[in-house]
Amino acid sequence: MNDQAMKQFLLHLDETLKLGRKFIIQDLDENHLFISADILDILQAKIDDLMDQISFPLAEKGP
Amino acid sequence: MADNGLGSSSQDSTLIKQNNLECKNLYDYLKTRQPNILEKLYNHPTICLAVYRELPELARHYVIRILFVEQPVPQAVVASWGSQAFSKEHIFVSKVLSELSVWQEAAIPGGLLGWILSPTFKRNLKVALLGGGKAWSMSSALEADSKARDVTFLDAYSLERWECVLHYMVGSQQQEGISADAVRILLHAGLMKRDEEDGSPVITRQGFQFLLLDRQAQVWHFLLQYLDTVEERGLDLVECLTFLFQLSFSTLGKDYSTEGMSPGLLVFLQHLREFGLVYQRKRKAGRFYPTRLALNITSSQNKNASDIEEDAPKGYIVVETNYRVYAYTDSNLQVALIGLFTELMYRFPNLVVGVITRDSVRQALRGGITADQIIGYLKQHAHTQMLQVETKQPLPPTVVDQIKLWELERNRLTYNEGVLYSQFLSQADFNVLKEYAQSNGSLIWCNKEKRTLVINKSAHDDVKKFWKRYSKGN
Repeated sequence: MNDQAMKQFLLHLDETLKLGRKFIIQDLDENHLFISADILDILQAKIDDLMDQISFPLAEKGP
Repeated sequence: MADNGLGSSSQDSTLIKQNNLECKNLYDYLKTRQPNILEKLYNHPTICLAVYRELPELARHYVIRILFVEQPVPQAVVASWGSQAFSKEHIFVSKVLSELSVWQEAAIPGGLLGWILSPTFKRNLKVALLGGGKAWSMSSALEADSKARDVTFLDAYSLERWECVLHYMVGSQQQEGISADAVRILLHAGLMKRDEEDGSPVITRQGFQFLLLDRQAQVWHFLLQYLDTVEERGLDLVECLTFLFQLSFSTLGKDYSTEGMSPGLLVFLQHLREFGLVYQRKRKAGRFYPTRLALNITSSQNKNASDIEEDAPKGYIVVETNYRVYAYTDSNLQVALIGLFTELMYRFPNLVVGVITRDSVRQALRGGITADQIIGYLKQHAHTQMLQVETKQPLPPTVVDQIKLWELERNRLTYNEGVLYSQFLSQADFNVLKEYAQSNGSLIWCNKEKRTLVINKSAHDDVKKFWKRYSKGN
């Protein structure tokens, strides 16, 4: 499974210091990054946020 | 060479597994038993037959071919029975047969290695297939029961008993409680845990997954967990297993005598009775009826569909393409189960209406339930009306796909904890380390041009040691 978009998102977070600091240690290839382990929790929360922003409620809850 | 501390890689790597519910089949269970326990088990034709039935097809062929051969058959001969194209399968079934101690290696004069069936297994499988020996089903020489029970009654009984356990798990107060013993098994199995505040048992994520399994899988999983604890109770594992297997080959709607059963087995019988695997009118009735739950518990695949369907409660769930879920039920258990992954909106005396939303599904996923389990549950309990639509699919494909997409969305980033090795001095050094890591399965990522490796963190010490030894050698 390839998901380059996700990698680009991580690169963006890293460059713009969105998480407060740099966390990518090495860029391995188009699908892999070597990142520091202690950022993982914050990172996942951030990704969840992103997913929330780009999703649209499908179901109508009206009667 | 420098290692660069901790790290994680994104994408493509295997997921870090959270401790999900592990469902063992008969093979997984038996292969983790001690050889001497297997040996004892194989003393019973019932068990040999159950094991034989669960073997892969190729393995069954092998067993039958050498069942009447009294000397070891050279391994090369066994391998030659199948075409080269299926050597993978051959290796796999050879491993299975060895792990289950069904056959063992034996030297043949001339230095060749051969296979020979384990003598106990061979003897008892012959008995199972050809007859002879002692009568191996439970004794059933009984006078007719004055209050005989029919199949419908037994089905209703077993259903009620089993649902009692499930009800207890979801904490609904609809029915009576269950015994302390049963609670202990649930706790031991990790399906429930003690609440940190008041110590009362609460359901765990494994417990939720358990609830979504089909009935037969639930019973089997539960029994395995029970068997783990039998020895602490002073019961004999082999004895209990044997009885269970006998039970699984018994006839529904027939009564069997408890005569000749040891005190340990009688205790076991009472436990089975509590979970609805057997029916007894009174503890001392001297006879019992196996129920549908106890039959064929060992067969994991191609379950006898008719056996299960008759028992299964009628489907009650209607899913619409607009993500609405209508569940025609008044059981708190079923409502609680639906509530695991839908947002409930209305509740009527015999109908619950909910809607599947991204949030409700994500909450279930966070709780450790997988998309397949949700879809499987909805399918399994789909209302008969849903089955009559021409498409032949009980669920609207849009809903199925969307639930899967919601799950995938959470897994866009996968990660592994690893250690990065780089700046190797020569390609040869790099290759040596890469091959070493590959051979013990700890290699996560590598790049030849950059001479960079990422190795599983747990294997870091091991690889480091190997590297020291290797550099000294040069």
